[in-house]
Amino acid sequence: MTRFIALFARSQLAFFGLIVLSFILLLAIFTPFLPLNDPNVIDTSNRFKLPFSEGAILGTDHLGRDLLSRLLWGTRLSIAVGLCAAIIAAFIGSAIGITAGYYGGHADNFIMRGVDMLMAFPYILLALAIVAALGPGLMNALIAVAIVNIPFFARNIRGVTIGIVHREFVDAARLSGMSNTKIIITEILPNVFPVIVIAMSTTVGWMILETAGLSFLGLGSQPPQADLGSMLGEARAAIITSPHTSVVPGIMILIIVMAINLVGDGVRDVLDPRLKSGALSTPRSTTEVSKNKSNTGLKNQILLSINALKTEFRIGDRILKAVDDVSLTVDKGQCLGIIGESGSGKSVTALSVMRLVSSPPGVITNGSIDFNGGDLLELSSEDLRAFRGKKISYVFQDPLSTLHPLYTVGQQLSEAIQSNSYVGKSEKNKKALELLKAVRISNPEKRLNSYPHELSGGMRQRIGIAMALANDPDIIIADEPTTALDVTVQAQILKLFQDLRREKGLALVFITHDFGVISQICDKVAVMYAGKVVEIGPTAKILDSPAHPYTARLKSCVPELGQGKRNLLAIPGFPPMIDNMPSGCAFASRCQKVKQNCYLTAVDFTNIGQERGVRCLFPEEIKAG
Amino acid sequence: MALLKFSRRAIIAAGAAIAFATSAISVTAQTPDDVLVVGQIAEPKSMDPATVTAVNDFRILMNIYDGLVRYKDGTLEVEPSLATSWTISDDGTVYTFKLRSGVKFHDGSALNASAVKFNFDRMLDDGHPYHDTGPFPLSFFFSAITDVSVVDDMTVKFTLNAPYAPFLSNLAYPTGLIVSPEAVKKHGKDFGQNPSGTGAFKFADWRSNEAVVVEANSDHWEGAPKLNAVVFRPITDANTRTAEMLAGGIDLMVEVPPLALSQFQGDGYTVHEQAGPHVWFLILNAKEGPFADVRVRQAANYAINKEAIVNDVLEGTAAVAAGPTPPAFAWAYNESLEPYPYDPDKARELLAAAGAEGAELTFYVTEGGSGMLDPVAMGTAIQADLQAVGLKVKIETYEWNAFLGVVNPGLEGKADMAEMAWMTNDPDTLPFLALRTGAWPDKGGFNSGYYSNPKVDELLEAARASTDQNERARLYQEMQTIVQEDAPWVFVANWKQNAVTSDKVSSFSLQPSFFLLLDGVTKN
Amino acid sequence: MIGYILKRLVSAIPVLIGISIIVFIIMALIPGDPATAILGSFATPENVEKLNRDLGLDKPMIQRYFIWLGNMLQGDFGRSFSLNKDVLDEILERFGATLILAGVSFVLCSVLGVVAGALSASRQFAITDKLITLSVLIGISIPSFFLGMMMILFFSVQLRWFPVSGMWPIYGTRDIAALLSHLFLPAVALSVVATGVIARLSRSAMLEVLRQDFIRTARAKGLSETRVIWRHALKAAMVSVIPVLGVQAGFVLSGAVYIEMVFQWPGVGRMLVEAILKRDILLVQGGVVFVAACYVMFNIIVDIIQSLLDPRIKI
Repeated sequence: MTRFIALFARSQLAFFGLIVLSFILLLAIFTPFLPLNDPNVIDTSNRFKLPFSEGAILGTDHLGRDLLSRLLWGTRLSIAVGLCAAIIAAFIGSAIGITAGYYGGHADNFIMRGVDMLMAFPYILLALAIVAALGPGLMNALIAVAIVNIPFFARNIRGVTIGIVHREFVDAARLSGMSNTKIIITEILPNVFPVIVIAMSTTVGWMILETAGLSFLGLGSQPPQADLGSMLGEARAAIITSPHTSVVPGIMILIIVMAINLVGDGVRDVLDPRLKSGALSTPRSTTEVSKNKSNTGLKNQILLSINALKTEFRIGDRILKAVDDVSLTVDKGQCLGIIGESGSGKSVTALSVMRLVSSPPGVITNGSIDFNGGDLLELSSEDLRAFRGKKISYVFQDPLSTLHPLYTVGQQLSEAIQSNSYVGKSEKNKKALELLKAVRISNPEKRLNSYPHELSGGMRQRIGIAMALANDPDIIIADEPTTALDVTVQAQILKLFQDLRREKGLALVFITHDFGVISQICDKVAVMYAGKVVEIGPTAKILDSPAHPYTARLKSCVPELGQGKRNLLAIPGFPPMIDNMPSGCAFASRCQKVKQNCYLTAVDFTNIGQERGVRCLFPEEIKAG
Repeated sequence: MALLKFSRRAIIAAGAAIAFATSAISVTAQTPDDVLVVGQIAEPKSMDPATVTAVNDFRILMNIYDGLVRYKDGTLEVEPSLATSWTISDDGTVYTFKLRSGVKFHDGSALNASAVKFNFDRMLDDGHPYHDTGPFPLSFFFSAITDVSVVDDMTVKFTLNAPYAPFLSNLAYPTGLIVSPEAVKKHGKDFGQNPSGTGAFKFADWRSNEAVVVEANSDHWEGAPKLNAVVFRPITDANTRTAEMLAGGIDLMVEVPPLALSQFQGDGYTVHEQAGPHVWFLILNAKEGPFADVRVRQAANYAINKEAIVNDVLEGTAAVAAGPTPPAFAWAYNESLEPYPYDPDKARELLAAAGAEGAELTFYVTEGGSGMLDPVAMGTAIQADLQAVGLKVKIETYEWNAFLGVVNPGLEGKADMAEMAWMTNDPDTLPFLALRTGAWPDKGGFNSGYYSNPKVDELLEAARASTDQNERARLYQEMQTIVQEDAPWVFVANWKQNAVTSDKVSSFSLQPSFFLLLDGVTKN
Repeated sequence: MIGYILKRLVSAIPVLIGISIIVFIIMALIPGDPATAILGSFATPENVEKLNRDLGLDKPMIQRYFIWLGNMLQGDFGRSFSLNKDVLDEILERFGATLILAGVSFVLCSVLGVVAGALSASRQFAITDKLITLSVLIGISIPSFFLGMMMILFFSVQLRWFPVSGMWPIYGTRDIAALLSHLFLPAVALSVVATGVIARLSRSAMLEVLRQDFIRTARAKGLSETRVIWRHALKAAMVSVIPVLGVQAGFVLSGAVYIEMVFQWPGVGRMLVEAILKRDILLVQGGVVFVAACYVMFNIIVDIIQSLLDPRIKI
């Protein structure tokens, strides 16, 4: 609950709405105890008194009744009516929706046809007709408004229910012989409930407006009772001469509905499971850089050098150190592999290069990324764009989600080409074809007009690579490009990378969790654990004799071709939470060779010769090579 | 930067759109000088006078058609129109009319006795070939007619089943307007969209929900009207109608909302007022409940502050009513009648005497409706006044048609009081249809409060049978005194209909009949 | 595609029949009958009964329903009591006006709503976002009838920029400029609420999309932010916005009732309200079935547009 409130309070607007709404609700609740004039006392000789006149702070209406008093009593009534209508509509609508969604088949078909009918019926006319049939009165207006809103709930809740009905826990409940009613109440309802609350919180305001609309048409409360809608309706005749009589209830409706909507949005944001992890926030085009000073290391002629890079995620008050003090270099034509478990910071490191880490919440807080001698972290977004895709390009892991689903392969390719310099249309097409050929796609002409979902996984990844190649970049950063693919396709893609590297003299940064992959194409490899590089060195040497216990364990997890049957040992335990790093070695708790010292102080990165370095107090013996 | 570029483009686009829109503004065309634009309260239903009941439709029809007789300017007294003279048999059952010669309908056919016969037969004879062009809701105005016969080409004779004093007055009512038989034959059911009469204006165009246009009939028997054309615009929303008047979109506006009148006090406008044969009253259920006691009915009359209602709620657009007959029927009105004064103490006394303190009453209020003025506000004010003398009043509002549906069959078992208003053309109509014992709902009348006084019944029957106006006047005046004393109703208000004209319009005046006569109006 | 349309049309038939039954029953339940409405104050039970007989309303309900349905299937919607006109003629005439008003408002609210929502999402938490969020909230919280009247008073009466009411000038040419000047205020007043709803929806759809991997891909390609947001993200967001546009069309159509009343727009919404009040049974029934049919058609069109936008949907 406190977390709920804390999350809620984070959104200033929702919090503001809550304050306003609480104030109005308090006023409404305590209206009977406030020293107000009688809302129904008529004094026609004092009609249309302006606001701030004596004895009537908000003035009087067309019959000389005190507007302030009527406003508060009216607010009380309108809120009650809106809430009741929302609850009734939510209750009936949800019942219908759950029934339809749970039973499916003919019942669903039949019910949803009925809902379609109500939806196709213009709702004001439906409400009008219902009120005309039932007779006027606030109660009947309430019923009418509730009825016309049932389809909204029924549709939404049905959709959610269908999503839940085939989940394992429902199947389990069914197998255990629970009755349908019981399943609905104990299994479905709790899962649907947040959606109902969200839908309700966003419709209460709408209900108040609709009831006001009916009252405005004269179908609401019976005189002399005031609700906001009938106040507005009655004041309508005087809208030209004494606008204040309609402005007063009009503004009240505005404030209430706005406050309810703000709170509704807040509730939605808090309850929406996707948002629980953090703010539903748009990443900016480039990762925010917030570091004290330019601490570029030595200027060198190395193609890409990452120095002391620190990238954090700032979610609320928590700071997650995703990448901590990582330094890496890649030279022309070289292939650097970065390996680690998920969450080790390897992808974030890779994304930090072109500042593609989602920001918020990502922030680069230290280090430099020197490309051809210049620090990319110093560039403006617009300047950085000149590097993206042209000098350094990316290939991502899951090509289904990383390619735009609604553009054809050809469109996405030409777009990549276009971003470089102005190229004519036919030329772009030609280039796109060339690229497809370069990534060994058969029948490239036809593929240009295909959409990503029409291609196989391997084909999609080739497209991703083709796109990365579009502008002859110096470096391709490939973030687990083969993880989502099956083994044979994986091999083909790896071969493609190898070929391209040779043909074009590309530098490659290859991120993976698979030593097998590393061993095939990387010149050198960096092993990452909990945001830090724990070991670095030439691939062959590290494979041959890992210095860090983690590397050794990681290596032994991987079956190797041609090695026959071997012990595949999973690493026991889990990596540490990156918002709660131990002060000593992060791997200590999982390390078989752990000693007392490992827990005490941070471990420095030490050079151990042969272009190798390791972050361990008690590294393995390395074979001299 | 890129986003900025976009916004700039958007601004330019928006600017272009606004420029386009403003260029459109300049074309709001001015109406020509000799064309009068009238703001009406609703789309007319039909322009067949025999089929309509609404004052709104009458306002157009009176300018397209003439009747055999009409009301003299500024009065409710009958004068010749298409009939130049008439005689009434001594027993009051045979009326013979001499028709004006040389009058032609707008479609070119001639007005003659058989045309007049066609008109009444169409309405009254179920077997008439064009009876299916109805229904004719007000045909009962002429239900006394047993026969219409052609005496000669220019003479027509009506035979009634009994003496019926309001007959001439009813002929002057729009239901009695004479339509062209040729046009009815030609258009059948669609005659209402293609009207043809003998009036000062010819029908020109009806654009659904936009306007009805009529043009001057240069061949009119009284000479051509001054205006070249009149456009009737239906503007149902009173605020919008007021806004149109303020913005210059219409030249003449009828039924100005009381609250909007103050907007038109300046130099640019003239406000017209005319009391009409209208009475706004509360039907009291005299059959059962507290109002069965005459003292409680009188108490209600004392308790309600009618001055406040007409002056404050209605902003002076009505006068306090004294009895069942509006003063607009000058000859039949009892001048000696004084309205019940506002006297809450007296009301409390009467209630105490009747033992009706704290009685609970159900009050039917309508949302709107023809002649109902501002029924919700008035009902609310009345409720408050009755509350003040210790009656507990519960309001139930109904939209007009539902309201008629619950009130006309009688209040018994449902309610103690109901709002009502009538606009009539003869002092006979309202009391005869709504105060007689013979007019109780189960007997086909509108006496929804079940008032019954044999003396009143007798007076009304006698007045209807007499053709002598002085005699009728005496009978009606006596009836008014008795009814006021018996208080079957709370007599609340007589509406003064109003209209606003712009300063371009002259020679306009409202008629006590509520009709809108435009043949003498000029605009410059 | 044609097969799909036919299938959808066929499945719409039970919906429309259901609506015809609902509206028929409601109209039968409403107190007050057409005869009372026609006769007004003079409606004695006797007159009412006679007129009801003349109008054919004395027959049993079920019989009346099937007569009406049968006639309607032959294209005969009957004759309106209150307007003394053929119902279908009147509906078609009035529907044109509504189509123009609702259509323009719909385009207006879709474009403005989507642009505002996208802009708001792309600058999340910036002042632009807050301003848009706030004005959108105000937009969806203002009763449209109130807004309409205020706009008339300010723009038409005070500034005299636009005509107060109606669709065409009483005199003068009926050209597009004249129509636009009459259309401007009602279209804006009508689109405000829907703009707000669509903007909110577009914003959350955009926020959702902007976190997707393919947006990162687009950025990694070095595309400009303009292109990333207004092409890549927006197009993907439209996939979840467009189905809601179909629902919103219904709301715009309903909202048109108030606006048509305030601005005296000669549309079908006002016609239906007046018809309900006048108990013009055939006009209400015919009008509601017609409007519902249009709504169903519109939603079929929306689904087709959706399938054109999203190649993953096969119809």
